[in-house]
Amino acid sequence: MVLTHTTNHSYTHPFPTVTLAFFLRYYSPQLNPFSAHVLSTDTIDSHVDPETGRLHTTRIHLKKSRMPSAIIKLLPASVTGGAGEKSSYVLENSIVDIKEGWMKTESRNLNFTGVLSVTESQHYSATPPTRPTTRASLPPLGSRKTDKAAANEENSRGRFGWISGWGAKRIQSSIESIASNKTDDQIIKSRDGMKMVLERLRSNGVVAVLRELNRREGKSVFEA
Amino acid sequence: MSASLAPECNEVKERYDTCFLKWYSEKYLRGNGRTDDNECASMFKEYQKCLQVALKDRKIDKLLDEAREDSKDYDTIHLKRK
Repeated sequence: MVLTHTTNHSYTHPFPTVTLAFFLRYYSPQLNPFSAHVLSTDTIDSHVDPETGRLHTTRIHLKKSRMPSAIIKLLPASVTGGAGEKSSYVLENSIVDIKEGWMKTESRNLNFTGVLSVTESQHYSATPPTRPTTRASLPPLGSRKTDKAAANEENSRGRFGWISGWGAKRIQSSIESIASNKTDDQIIKSRDGMKMVLERLRSNGVVAVLRELNRREGKSVFEA
Repeated sequence: MSASLAPECNEVKERYDTCFLKWYSEKYLRGNGRTDDNECASMFKEYQKCLQVALKDRKIDKLLDEAREDSKDYDTIHLKRK
C-alpha cells in the first residue's frame, strides 16, 4: 500500500535562513523542543559541486521510534536493523542551490523497511524578492520502498520473507495505519520546530545562537 | 549540541558541525562557498575517520548500501517512464 500526503506552507522568513534552520533543526532540544526524540545526527557527506555551486549533504539521524512497543517486540532483529528495538535510522539527503534559491530534501528510514517505508520529500524555494517567503511541501509518505516490501512479500524469499507468514499482513496494515494517522500531526510538529529555530535565528545570528547554547552546556566555541 | 551515534566521535563531530554552520551561514549563503576553500575539510576528514568505523561496527554501512541500491532501482524505473 502506498500513501501520499502533500502539504504546502509559506514561511515568513528569508530563504537562506530557512535552509539554515533545516540544518539546525535537530541541533539541540533547547533550540527546538520538538527534537527531543532525535538521539543523534551525523553527516556522512558534504560537498559543493564545483560546476553548479550546489551544496550536497547526506546525514544520518537516529530517532526514537514512535511505534507502539507491543508491535516493535513482534519484529525480528533483521527488520529492526539492530538499532535497538525502539530506534530507527533515517537517511537524509539535501541539495541547496543558493544562486537559484531552492533546497530539496529527501528523508527515509533505513531500518524497519520490511514493514514500512516512509519517504519525506521537501522542496523549499524562494519566491520573488518582493515576497520573501519560503515554501515547503512534504509529500510522499510511504512510497517506492513500500512497493519493494510488497514484492518481497509475494516471492517470500527476500530477507523479509517471514512477513508473508500468517498474521504478518495484519501487523503491517496496523503499522501503516498508525503511521498514516500520525503523519499530519508530525508535519505540524516539524513545522513548529522549524519556526522556533527560525525565531531564534531572526533575533540572533547563528554564531550567537550556538554560543548561547554552548554557554548553557558549559562549553566555549569560536573563542579559539 | 546534537550527539553522534558513536559517543567516541562526539568531540570531532562537534568541531566539524560548528565549523560547517559558521561556513554555511557566513560564506555559502552569501555566495562565497567553494569546495576548494572549505576550511572545514580537515575536520570533516577526522570526523569521518572516527564515524566510518562506528558505522561498520553497527552494520549501518550495509543499510546505506542497500538504500543506495534501491535509489538506483528507482532511478531506472523513473527514467524508463519518462
